[in-house]
Amino acid sequence: MYSSVVRFQNAFSFFTTVAFVVAALIASTDLLTPRTPSVGVLKPTNVQVVRGRPHYYSSKKEEYAIIKFSLDADLSSLFTWNTKQLFVYVTAEWPSAGGSGSGQNASNQAVIWDSIITSPSADHLANLGPIALKKLKRSAQGKSIDPSRGKLSIKNQRPKYQITHPSGKVAEQEDVVLRLHYNVQPWVGFLTWNQDVDFWRWKTLRNNLSKKFTLPSIKKKDETKKAGA
Amino acid sequence: MAEQLLDQVGDLFEGQIDFEGQKLVELLVNVALTLVGAIAFFVGYFLQDIKLAVYIGLIGTAAVFVLVVPPWPFYNRHPVKWLPVGGVTPPANLVINDNVLK
Repeated sequence: MYSSVVRFQNAFSFFTTVAFVVAALIASTDLLTPRTPSVGVLKPTNVQVVRGRPHYYSSKKEEYAIIKFSLDADLSSLFTWNTKQLFVYVTAEWPSAGGSGSGQNASNQAVIWDSIITSPSADHLANLGPIALKKLKRSAQGKSIDPSRGKLSIKNQRPKYQITHPSGKVAEQEDVVLRLHYNVQPWVGFLTWNQDVDFWRWKTLRNNLSKKFTLPSIKKKDETKKAGA
Repeated sequence: MAEQLLDQVGDLFEGQIDFEGQKLVELLVNVALTLVGAIAFFVGYFLQDIKLAVYIGLIGTAAVFVLVVPPWPFYNRHPVKWLPVGGVTPPANLVINDNVLK
């Protein structure tokens, strides 16, 4: 503490300790906030299977499932002061033909849709154009938390990703279900996903599976032409 | 002339303070930074605003640095009193009683 440089070093070193402790406290407040996410509706609305190529120059043809779906969910309790953004995604899952022990994966899971919901404190990070970004910021002006961001009501949503299987065959696949997942990304602390068991004040995401459905057979080309004509 | 000026600038940059001042600085750093951290956390938690917590923490810390780093006059209120410089070299056989020095 004799000279300015030494005082600066000492003060800064203690500042790092304080900052770490405050960050740890902030992260631990996540546990105090109850998480009670719920799903109202998750169902496929329109399912198609088409043949296509994985990329433009590929000679390989694969079957792709295009699963449109409707989703009603209330994830607003996941937004706290420490929530930076929420990653929400829907997967389609089906059991493997041979089951486990057949050298294949026991079950297949592929993401068909996802979305990043920013908290108002992270709006400046949203990957949007300037106009949409302004609109987003204005929607939560003056609010540090906006629980309405967590209320999802999506009707007949087109999937972001058309899914296939390593074998290239998905048509007429039975026992397919859709599943809703979420991933809370905090400002400080650990990433948390929807957990399978209740954890003190954090409840599991119930009813996040759709009913089993069967993928249709491949859409015929001449049918689409007829429909177009 | 130039050397004198350089010495002055050097002293200003080094910013020496006395022993009592050093004690005070240590106390101030520990107490003030802890307080800033606590205020930042509790204000942020009760207003549920993490940006506010970060700003309180950073601005508070900057204020503590301003308070603590420069050699403010109140850190130099107890200068060390040195013994006067003796112009005479003591004889080699002189024995100094410790009580005299106190």
